[in-house]
Amino acid sequence: MIEQFFAFLGALADQTGLAHLWWGNLVMIAIGCGMIYLAIVKRYEPLLLVGIGFSCIISNVPGSDLTQPGGLFHYAYQGVELLIVPPLIFFGVGAMTDFAPMIANPKLVILGAAAHLGIFVALIGAKLLGFTLHEAGAIGIIGGADGPMAIFMTVKLAPHLLPQISVAAYSYMALMPLIQPPVMKLLTTPEERVIRMKQSRQVTRLEKIAFPIVIGIIVNMFFPPVAPLITMLMLGNLFREVLVVSRLAKTAANDLMNVIIIVLTVAIGSTMAADKFLTGSTIEIVVLGLVAFVFGTGSGVVGAKLMNLFLKEKINPLLGSAGIASVPIAARVSHNVALEYDKENYLIYHAMGPNLAGVFGTAISGGIMLALLGVK
Amino acid sequence: MTMPDSLYGALMLSFVDFFMSIVMISGIGVVLALFPLLNRLGKVDEKGLREGHH
Repeated sequence: MIEQFFAFLGALADQTGLAHLWWGNLVMIAIGCGMIYLAIVKRYEPLLLVGIGFSCIISNVPGSDLTQPGGLFHYAYQGVELLIVPPLIFFGVGAMTDFAPMIANPKLVILGAAAHLGIFVALIGAKLLGFTLHEAGAIGIIGGADGPMAIFMTVKLAPHLLPQISVAAYSYMALMPLIQPPVMKLLTTPEERVIRMKQSRQVTRLEKIAFPIVIGIIVNMFFPPVAPLITMLMLGNLFREVLVVSRLAKTAANDLMNVIIIVLTVAIGSTMAADKFLTGSTIEIVVLGLVAFVFGTGSGVVGAKLMNLFLKEKINPLLGSAGIASVPIAARVSHNVALEYDKENYLIYHAMGPNLAGVFGTAISGGIMLALLGVK
Repeated sequence: MTMPDSLYGALMLSFVDFFMSIVMISGIGVVLALFPLLNRLGKVDEKGLREGHH
């Protein structure tokens, strides 16, 4: 009787997740809790980290069916894998963003490409570590500091690395206020950090309306591989700027964006199962991502200093690091570092120019990479 | 023609991509520098647009 009772209990335990729990699950659950802690206590990207952290925890509870076909996390991931979610994020971002700083100061646009050297340093580093060229390309794009673009490129080039790359990209974006300032200070002199920028010209409504249409044509003509993202960015921006569909613009920028963030975060977290995530390549990708961010920041600053050799009116080299795409975090970092040295030097508007150009810089780099690798 | 899956391929890919990115984004910069010319075409009635939106 007692033997039968324990046999039943054993069979029951076998059907729960408890029997399949291993130390990897516990590590990942701790990581998920850490993300939620950072979001709540440190306020690091709470919109992203709460959802990612929670679904990371649930995905590592053995027995959970949410990540299996029939489970909602599984279908959220399908939205990412089928490249539905990244263009919708760009759509919302377009509806939220004023591109006037970029239109007003076209010469700063080049910093959007200069700050992407990190992509290629990480790419070469990944190749040296034994990754395939497609995997190395996906890892390199972390240096673009553009989450949706990193996801887009990874799904195209190395979908099996999606959890590691998306987590590295979004984590480093959240940590940019810690990563960038030491590099910026190392590469600039105190005199350079206090350079004040001339006030930008006023951008008219006609220019703002023309911008998404012109860029939409250019991107679809020259960079078809990444056109889905930039086209949606431009559509969202057109909704915002024409002023006659403000209802749609508000929906794209707020309600739709919030829904997509929920889908995206649970999708990313749901890929963080211990057996896939706790590998040597994860550590390599995390390190390469950091290298990409450091070199991207540095190359942006050096690019701005190089521009100063040819410009009559010098630009503040701290703007260079804003060429990394992460909008508006990188621009805010440039602004804050400048304020440390001159309390009245407000760089935020000027920094938004290269920062927005960085979105295009990453998309262009990605588009060229896909073309060179023969991926459609 | 695609890049070979080797260190040489990675170096070539990086060099070509970085160089072309700078050229392309400079091209966008040139296009943006021409944007003020658009204003010669006329002016958009912002107030009218805001009042008439749906």
